[in-house]
Amino acid sequence: MLSRVAENLYWLGRYLERAENVARMAEVNYNASVEQRAAGGDDSQLWTALVGALDAREEYAAAIEQTPDLSPGDWLIFSESNPNSLRSTVTLARSLARELREHISREVFEEINLLYLSATRAPHTAGMRPFTASVKRTVAAIVGLFDNTVLLNEGREWLRCGLFIERADMTSRIVDAKYFILLPSPEDVGGTLDTYQWMGILRSASALEAFRKRYRGAITGVRVAEMLMLDPDFPRSLGFCVTAFTRHFERATEATPRQQSLPANRELALLELDLGAANAEEIVEAGLHEFLDEFQTRLGRVHDAMTDGIFRAVPAAAASR
Amino acid sequence: MADLLTGYRTLAGPDEMFAPHGEYRFAYREFAERFRRWDADEYRARQSASDLEQLNGGVTFTVYQDQAGTERIFPFSLIPRIITAEEWAVIEAGLVQRVTALNRFLTDLYGEQRCIRDGVIPAELVESAPGFNPRMRGFVPPLGVWAHVAGIDLIRDREGIFRVLEDNLRTPSGVSYVLENRRTMLNVVPDLFPAGSVAPVDEYADRLLEMLVAVRPAGVDADETRSVILTPGSYNSAYFEHSFLARQMGIELVEGRDLLVHDHHVYLRATTGLEPVHVIYRRVDDEFLDPLVFREDSALGVAGLFEAYRAGNVTIVNAIGNGIVDDKVTCRFVPAAIRYFLGEEPILPNVDTFVGALPSDLEFILANLGDLVMKPSNASGGYGIVIGPQASAADLQAARERLRANPSGYIAQPLQEFSTIPSFDGERLEARRADLRPFVVTGASSWVLPGGLTRVASDSTSYIVNSSQGGGSKDTWVLRPSRGT
Repeated sequence: MLSRVAENLYWLGRYLERAENVARMAEVNYNASVEQRAAGGDDSQLWTALVGALDAREEYAAAIEQTPDLSPGDWLIFSESNPNSLRSTVTLARSLARELREHISREVFEEINLLYLSATRAPHTAGMRPFTASVKRTVAAIVGLFDNTVLLNEGREWLRCGLFIERADMTSRIVDAKYFILLPSPEDVGGTLDTYQWMGILRSASALEAFRKRYRGAITGVRVAEMLMLDPDFPRSLGFCVTAFTRHFERATEATPRQQSLPANRELALLELDLGAANAEEIVEAGLHEFLDEFQTRLGRVHDAMTDGIFRAVPAAAASR
Repeated sequence: MADLLTGYRTLAGPDEMFAPHGEYRFAYREFAERFRRWDADEYRARQSASDLEQLNGGVTFTVYQDQAGTERIFPFSLIPRIITAEEWAVIEAGLVQRVTALNRFLTDLYGEQRCIRDGVIPAELVESAPGFNPRMRGFVPPLGVWAHVAGIDLIRDREGIFRVLEDNLRTPSGVSYVLENRRTMLNVVPDLFPAGSVAPVDEYADRLLEMLVAVRPAGVDADETRSVILTPGSYNSAYFEHSFLARQMGIELVEGRDLLVHDHHVYLRATTGLEPVHVIYRRVDDEFLDPLVFREDSALGVAGLFEAYRAGNVTIVNAIGNGIVDDKVTCRFVPAAIRYFLGEEPILPNVDTFVGALPSDLEFILANLGDLVMKPSNASGGYGIVIGPQASAADLQAARERLRANPSGYIAQPLQEFSTIPSFDGERLEARRADLRPFVVTGASSWVLPGGLTRVASDSTSYIVNSSQGGGSKDTWVLRPSRGT
């Protein structure tokens, strides 16, 4: 497979997963903020926390200097000038899909194209909910259609690599969002508000129902961290995603010269080992935010090793024929 | 139908659907039986279904001048051009004859140049032509085929005869719209098709792929032949078509940066290493193909490609250097070339053409510009055209000055009152001029796609059908012999 095509499929997977995650996080936030406002509370902190978890505080600060009344929600979802907004992510996914037309099926392209057309032609008029809902539905449809209409080959493995690395990154950001939501005082740890916030984190990862099945007891920080980071059976946990990524990466690079895939393989193997040996209580004790930060850095190294070693490798002199 | 056709007025040229006294022409009889039940609401409903289908499917082209929405659907009109089997047989034979002669013409112009010595075309018109590529001298591509994919623009004149307006032998585009238009028609107006009597078009991709394999370099096994489509990239106006054809043939769509040349062989950069490439169906113009030989600033091409081509290790489709014969100037000499190389009379006549570079023609153009259409000899897309009968005195004067300053830069033709086909203007049908671009694929032999791209002007006053000038398209039906006789 062409290196450029492999890279584009990988990025298509990343953008699709990113769009779905941002849509879900925004939706949970939206519901929570409606609830808080109904109770007479202040919901602004919820949105700034989301901006913080997505690593976008500086960009948002710059944006509101230009447009002071731009709300963080609108900026995250609809802004054309924010290159990471949901709308921009959908646009990027669609332009990749257009470049990849001959590698994806007509059905897959049409779903992405329809989403793009609805995102760019009828923006905020209907509000956030219809848009985030259609992003979630469409991404699920696309991933399903991909499974059912596209040849099972290297290309599909690259798309899956993109989905899982992005999901791992996004889940780590969802958990990290808790770090950005401040509790009024240290005594509130373990209190009602703390529990309520952890519940929001679970919802953001579509994990609340799974959590209830897994743990019969109370929602605590350690349990949420354990489930979202280390649970090998929960499909959004960091551990699950890294293992899945490794499997797809191995299949995608079956025929790649070993010296090209080795650096990424090495990073992956170490990451998988460390996650397998980790313990939630110790992580929370030592600092959840620091752990997640390091995790994101290590994922970035995997990404770089893959990009440099495989997608953009300068080929050794051609084999003479 | 009464509703839709109220006030339908034909123009100076013939109408494809109606004979002069208002009765349906033979080709349209069965169609009209079905179509006459429609009123304007029905038409609008079908049209919006068709537009939506093309938009959702991403069947779009890019408009360069437009900043805002750079992708648009090609305006599509639901009333097809219908051609009888008899008419088509003439067109088909004429096209095969023409393309055969053009290939011989190219081999000779880059080879012995016997045709120049024998007076078919003046030497100075060849050597000075911007389309002549001296680097191709002495080269003969596999099977002697230069124009592998030819798009020959035809119009039907006042007398009802199909004439050649121009040959497109470099990278003619439009075939994807032929295939997508048919698909749209079958989805949106299946009830308009006379049962089983319209020739299908979906064979195109198979024929194209068969040709690519047929012209592979010597010594490469047919089953091992690796063909690719080379595109300038997703911002090119015809990108949809490049990707469409790659999908239809199941071959890689590549950009210049995906290829590299090593030791005069071309390779593709793959995740598994380098893989050899044998045939490149390029949709990149000659001058951008290889920065070492042509434009240095080209980022679209592949360094070293030209040498690999000349060494015979890769076949480039269409060949490099075809510009010399699809030039609007050379077009004037094609009938003579057909007689010279094949010893036959041309089956399809040319539109009369006068070239500024010939002194006698120049005099004629200057004297009769008010009745002629003047075009730059080396531009396409409908840019820079002066239509004499519609131009102001000042415009004509300016055009004469441009012509005097650079006689060989222009050609002129009598204003063609070419045929019209009914098209919907939002309320009712009006007559609009339309041309026809059939596609000829030539490998071991020539094959003509039944039908072709019918392009239609944007309103009833316009003579220009190019998409870049707001023109639209129609499906083209070639009726099967059983119904056509």
